[in-house]
Amino acid sequence: MRIISALCMRNIRLFLRNRVQLVLILIMPFFYLYLLSTIFKSTDISDPTNYVLSGIIIIVVFQTSLNIAASTIDDMVSGYMKEVLVSPAKRIQIVIGQILSSTIIATFQGILIMIVGCFIGLRYGSIFTPLAVIVSMIFVGLVFSAFGLFLATSVKNSQTFQITSVAVTTPITFLCGVYVPLSLLPNGLQYIAFLNPMTYAASFFRALSLEKLSLPLNELISDQLAFKAGNLIITPQISFFVILLFGILFLILSTVTFTRVDFSKMNRTQMSKDIYNQ
Amino acid sequence: MNNIITVKNFTKTYGTFKAVDNVSFEVESGSIFAFLGPNGAGKSTTINTLCTILDKTSGTLMIDGKEIGQNKDYIRSVIGVVFQEQTLDVKMTVEENLKMHCHFYRVAKSVINERIDFVLHLVDLTKWKKAMVNSLSGGMKRRVEIARSLLHLPKVLFLDEPTTGLDPQTRANIWDYIVKLQKEKGITIFLTTHYMDEAEISDKVAVMDYGKIIAFDHPAVLKKQYTRDKAMISSIVPEQLNDLLLQHDLTYAKENNRFIIEVNDLSKLTAIISEHQLSITDMEVRKGTLNDVFLEITGKNIRE
Ligand SMILES: Nc1ncnc2c1ncn2[C@@H]1O[C@H](COP(=O)(O)OP(=O)(O)OP(=O)(O)O)[C@@H](O)[C@H]1O
Ligand SMILES: [Mg+2]
Repeated sequence: MRIISALCMRNIRLFLRNRVQLVLILIMPFFYLYLLSTIFKSTDISDPTNYVLSGIIIIVVFQTSLNIAASTIDDMVSGYMKEVLVSPAKRIQIVIGQILSSTIIATFQGILIMIVGCFIGLRYGSIFTPLAVIVSMIFVGLVFSAFGLFLATSVKNSQTFQITSVAVTTPITFLCGVYVPLSLLPNGLQYIAFLNPMTYAASFFRALSLEKLSLPLNELISDQLAFKAGNLIITPQISFFVILLFGILFLILSTVTFTRVDFSKMNRTQMSKDIYNQ
Repeated sequence: MNNIITVKNFTKTYGTFKAVDNVSFEVESGSIFAFLGPNGAGKSTTINTLCTILDKTSGTLMIDGKEIGQNKDYIRSVIGVVFQEQTLDVKMTVEENLKMHCHFYRVAKSVINERIDFVLHLVDLTKWKKAMVNSLSGGMKRRVEIARSLLHLPKVLFLDEPTTGLDPQTRANIWDYIVKLQKEKGITIFLTTHYMDEAEISDKVAVMDYGKIIAFDHPAVLKKQYTRDKAMISSIVPEQLNDLLLQHDLTYAKENNRFIIEVNDLSKLTAIISEHQLSITDMEVRKGTLNDVFLEITGKNIRE
């Protein structure tokens, strides 16, 4: 417990010290909100601002939790991870500490945007909705922190990671129905969107924050809260289970790779590794 | 005396490359053990395996009576490590680094502050407690790492080139308290260094090359075995000295009227000289050093 909380405190402190990042993460969503509201007005969604805002909140949660990957890579490259790994702390404690701290930070960001959103027209009908929204932010944060940690431990190298990170986050961000409505995507990209875990996270989260989970099917579809993948209609409930499965999968994967990975090589650059292998 | 570290037939390969090749040695509890060898000899590989960071390929490695493969958590809690590369949390302050270490090693909360002050005092960095690690000089960072490795009072301290890049003052200071730690707290010290003079203080020296240990003994014994003392003598009666040396089977080289004599034992030479009351105008003596030992057994070729 002590190790987990110490790791959390450290990561949170590190995050709070990075003022520029803090401000940027807070400003960017509203820039997007402004931009996107106009795009989404051209669809038949009934409340575009709230629709877009809830999507943006979850995207911010996603992006922030993925930061754990970059900061874990930093710790490997700087050598600090070696100090952590030679200590009697169990690997699983380190995994939990990393994932938890990342989730806390991501949820915190999400809540900040939610609060600002309330000033520009975000309304909840029931007082339980914001609570449920926060719970699902924590949930989505956990899922993508696990995913991020898995990425970090599989890549282990900052140059490769930068490329991988762009290659992974760009499609996830743009092909999940938050920035561009799924119905407006060309056919081929739609299929990619169906493989994108964020599509399901956004879909569920949106229905939840718009308090429309119990809407009849045809209204869900017309409000773009449920979508068709081939002949299958993905309701927000189905989305929830998809993302749950994805989360469990990566929680297991990241734990396994983190415990097994050979950290001795992480300080060496790609090039010198090749020389050694000759 | 019992052995705190026992290594038997230890081999470590990277792919097909044998970095450490069937090595065996023992380290006595409470002693200082110096591991020497040219670049790429396999020193860090051995240390990292003993520290549980690397897995061995084969052999038996034991610390404090426990095989390291099966007792990683125990081993980790009784060793302190200063790695060859920097492992500080650079975006945190010195104090935060030390606190974190205490949490990882479950140092009792009530003694954390006192311990931190103690180790910082030891490396003379008390004033820098609140400084960001990023703002410290290279040598200061190294001192923070050494301080950090002592926080949980380890039984064995591994120091992989702890003094590389430090100024002579700091080096001298660091060795002063490393010796003090060994004497007062009975900590076993396992170190590597490329400064041969630093290895002089150790109780045992192992020289490794190409993954094999090629010499292992007390520094004085090694010096005796691998080096000869050199005396350079000038005399006003060179003929007499010449006869005397030949008489005692001592070969010499002559350079600008100076006799250069290499002997295994200097006392023999001084005895001869004093006995015969030769008029010596100048005498310079060079004792063999650990550096000579090192060059003698590992050769002068630079490792690729
Ligand atoms: N992760 C690795 N992958 C492949 N080869 C490695 C790896 N680590 C070390 N080696 C090789 O193993 C050999 C021993 O390396 P090691 O770091 O143990 O040497 P060292 O004695 O500590 O040298 P130095 O004095 O330069 O620190 C070297 O030839 C090195 O190239
Ligand atoms: Mg080394």
